[in-house]
Amino acid sequence: MITALLCCLLYPAFAGQKVRVGIYHNTPKVGLDEQGEPCGIFVDVIKYVARAENWDLEFVTGTWKEGLDRLEAGEIELMPDVAYTFDRAQHFSFHEIPTLSSWFQVYAHPGSGIKTLLDLEGKKVVVLESSVQQKSFEALAQSFHIKIDLIGVPDYQTVFQKVKDREAAAAVTNQFFGNMHARQYGLEDTAIIFSPSALHFATAKGRNLNLLEKIDKHLKLLKQDHQSEYYQSLKRWTSEKVSFQIPQEIKIIALVLLGFLFMSILGSLMLKHQVNLRTAELQQSHAELEHRVLERTAELAAAMERAEAADRIKSAFLASMSHELRTPLNSIIGFTGILLQGLAGPLNDEQNKQLGMVQKSARHLLSLINDVLDISKIEAGQLELAPNSFALRPSLEKILMLLTPMAKDKGLELRSQIADDVGQVTTDQRRFEQIIINLLNNAVKFTEKGFVSLACRIENGRCLIEVADSGIGMEESALQTIFEPFRQIDSGLARKHEGTGLGLSICRKLLEMMGGSIDVKSRPGQGSTFYVSFPVNKEAEHGKNTADN
Amino acid sequence: MAKTLLIIEDNEQNFYMMRFLLEKKGFKVLGAENGRLGVQMALEHIPDAILLDIQLPEMDGYAVAAELKKHHELDHVPIIAVTSYAMVGDREQILAAGANGYIEKPINPDTFVDEITQFLGQ
Repeated sequence: MITALLCCLLYPAFAGQKVRVGIYHNTPKVGLDEQGEPCGIFVDVIKYVARAENWDLEFVTGTWKEGLDRLEAGEIELMPDVAYTFDRAQHFSFHEIPTLSSWFQVYAHPGSGIKTLLDLEGKKVVVLESSVQQKSFEALAQSFHIKIDLIGVPDYQTVFQKVKDREAAAAVTNQFFGNMHARQYGLEDTAIIFSPSALHFATAKGRNLNLLEKIDKHLKLLKQDHQSEYYQSLKRWTSEKVSFQIPQEIKIIALVLLGFLFMSILGSLMLKHQVNLRTAELQQSHAELEHRVLERTAELAAAMERAEAADRIKSAFLASMSHELRTPLNSIIGFTGILLQGLAGPLNDEQNKQLGMVQKSARHLLSLINDVLDISKIEAGQLELAPNSFALRPSLEKILMLLTPMAKDKGLELRSQIADDVGQVTTDQRRFEQIIINLLNNAVKFTEKGFVSLACRIENGRCLIEVADSGIGMEESALQTIFEPFRQIDSGLARKHEGTGLGLSICRKLLEMMGGSIDVKSRPGQGSTFYVSFPVNKEAEHGKNTADN
Repeated sequence: MAKTLLIIEDNEQNFYMMRFLLEKKGFKVLGAENGRLGVQMALEHIPDAILLDIQLPEMDGYAVAAELKKHHELDHVPIIAVTSYAMVGDREQILAAGANGYIEKPINPDTFVDEITQFLGQ
């Protein structure tokens, strides 16, 4: 509560008191610079005070008379450059310490011989029309009983211009303006000085006296310190540019040096021009190259994006295709199974036989679809393994159970030899079983009598599996290509033995993904043996390899 | 007393096959052909188990499993997802979504009912 109250009370102080200051053109005392910003000694002083007192200054530009009118009307708080007179004291209030002391001075051409007021006798002198100095200069001349031809003009610039153009012998301005601008017009100051005056900031009579009080306070301090901003401002605005005569011989030397300098600059400019030309050429070819690289990169990025999009579509297509094809087929196989089990009622022998054929064909179709989808996924790089840890022995025993009826039907002996140390493996169980089932299936398919055997052992962190048979075997030439897709179709085996010929190529691809391999030994009429090898734990195997390297 | 099973499955043949096999073994079978209806019927009937397909119209199996898990009156009801072997990662996802187990598609008519019975436990 108290804090809030304090904030309210203090707020105006933080925001700063707003002080409007009149500006008119009378540099260097007060005026506008080339950017139209207020400048001059009075501006410097009031800005200094404003900073110290946290005043918020606003400058209002106009003529001298407008400034004084606004001050009286309360439209501005302060008017600078106001000389104290008895008349003005009736309308305005002044601070005590003068901001500037000024006087009027006579300016003439150098060597005009005008040194005292008497030298102006009968001459034309230009003054500011209806100004204080006009009146006081007339009074001065009268008091010396001399006759001077006074010409009034509306502004100080014209005052000097008239003398420069030799339309008059001398000019009268205040010493600040004169010191600043006389040289521009080829004039210099004379020793004729009159009407000294003290210049102040003024407020409307009796108003804003606190502002005047603060200005006095700061002026007093500013004037005590010779390094203060006040003196720096005076120096900045009033210091004369000193010029001196240079001896002739130095001028000649300087000219010669300048000539050399000019030649060498010219030479270096020409050199620089040539370098610039070459640089520009290089820059252009560089830019062209860069442009082409960017273009090509964009093309490649677009092509890449298209390829990736096509890939995503293909992947999505494969996923939905496999689902869409299998769903109806599963329903055919399922219902056939229900009917064959007699769950829907008894079947006669012929119905039983034919439904059995439907079931067999449907199962074959399902395996074909599975193979085609698998190989497409593998070729597209869309097949992902899902490794898990599982016990190898039960997995292999389950597979043997599955194959037993088929082997029994053909009168084949199904042997197995699983080593005692066979334990857990980490790989994709489903894919592993798919590989072994495929190999055993092939073995049974291509063997008419004798045996099919499965052996498994662990060696050096790898699982080694052998699937052997006493079947028809293969020619040496066939061995080269059996792991390539669609080989069975080429060799004409498809006619005799059902299958896509994709099984072995799927096996090889899957094993490669598992970090394993597959190999075969076979001779015609002497059976075949397939050797499968893969790491028991793919991550551990990988780590071991890295360590060895 | 006959146990009641709710099958949420949009494929007519699959639903018929499952219902046929289960009814043969004396189960009472309710069916819902989409996920939204499935949730509604589960809350209405509080079955002894729910068989849930993954690819369903309106609300898929994941959403259904997640929704069913919000209702404590179904806390004791096992949700058995019927997932397709084709979809890698389906099983992990459906278990994470709240299913208690899964049966693989295509269902095997010889073993299907036994598998369901295992989930029903005692």
